[in-house]
Amino acid sequence: MALSDSLRKQFDDLIAKNKVVLFMKGNKHFPQCGFSAQVVGILKDTGVPFETVNVLSDPAVRDGIKEYSNWPTIPQLYVNGEFIGGCDIVKEMYAQGDLQTKLGVRSEPVAAPAVTLDDGAAREIASAAEQNKGEFLRFDINETFQYDLYFGERKPGDLEVTAKGVTLLFDPASAKRANGIHVSWVSTADGGAFKIDNPNEPARVKPLAVNELKQWFEERKHFELIDVRGNDERAIAMIQNARMLDSATETHLMSLDKASPIVFQCHHGRRSRSAAERFVREGFTNIYNLEGGIDAWSVHVDPNVPRY
Amino acid sequence: MVSARRPERAAVLTMTIADTMKAAIEEAIAGANVDVTPGSGQGHFVVQVISPVFAGKSMLESQRLVLSALAPLMKGDNAPVHAIDNLRTKAS
Repeated sequence: MALSDSLRKQFDDLIAKNKVVLFMKGNKHFPQCGFSAQVVGILKDTGVPFETVNVLSDPAVRDGIKEYSNWPTIPQLYVNGEFIGGCDIVKEMYAQGDLQTKLGVRSEPVAAPAVTLDDGAAREIASAAEQNKGEFLRFDINETFQYDLYFGERKPGDLEVTAKGVTLLFDPASAKRANGIHVSWVSTADGGAFKIDNPNEPARVKPLAVNELKQWFEERKHFELIDVRGNDERAIAMIQNARMLDSATETHLMSLDKASPIVFQCHHGRRSRSAAERFVREGFTNIYNLEGGIDAWSVHVDPNVPRY
Repeated sequence: MVSARRPERAAVLTMTIADTMKAAIEEAIAGANVDVTPGSGQGHFVVQVISPVFAGKSMLESQRLVLSALAPLMKGDNAPVHAIDNLRTKAS
């Protein structure tokens, strides 16, 4: 399909009038695709004002911009009239500080993060490094604190950390989010996985498995267990000492220190998740959701608790 | 039985799209070493291309070479290739 002259003129004008324009799916408040959301996150991080064009609002714009830029994917970023690229390129340029240069913002120098590894994590990384000679473990942390660990080449601007004899590489944006992390190796059903404790992460609801809850009881750990179900369901089955979330409990919880561990529980773990998220929004930082709820508890821990 | 067969057929279909992508890139960039693997969902792929043509080229130029080869497969609402989750180009 040929790009109409009027549409070409519209794109020319948009790009000429705005220093930073992002053609994306959705808008900056509600991105409707993960790639668009990542670029919005990066632009917000830089602090520069930017204009967005929602390509989903008009199929002609969506197809037209692909032809205009000679680029088949969305999002597409323009800065000072120049086509910068899509999500991969924006991420890479941001990591290396080139995007900040183009935008005319200063990228402050970043120090190498403090990282600690437990013996298991160090052993796993070292043995994987054996099979990836010439490459290094790259440790990416995106703006929503999702982690990506993979072997790759060294890049300009990387910050290098050596811990327990293994080398980790962070791009500057990831390094800022990594200071103080502790990486450990935990065994799982399919072998094992890295567990990452990161003090920079914003508070979120943490998943708690039923066997972890059992362990907490055995360790006599101090925590609150809150059952968000009503009396009808509690009459059928209950986990010992689980308090119902009524107004008295609510008042009690609100009076607690915001770092107190609180576990929310329901039948299958869905209703409790929304309650848990509400407490995170109230500023609590150690909020857990019992995954699978009381049903998982009776299947995996205590068969005396009836299932329903 | 029918439901047990479905994933197999989907896997075969995915393979075919990946092979088509690989062929399209190899046609555009002679002698390229192309690796296409499934990505985060239906129609999502991870692509790695190694070729001497990328030497001295910027990431934008390198990706444009690969993406323009894939553009016909990414056109329209029902395109077989919905997204490239990650595209890595390396000069060999």
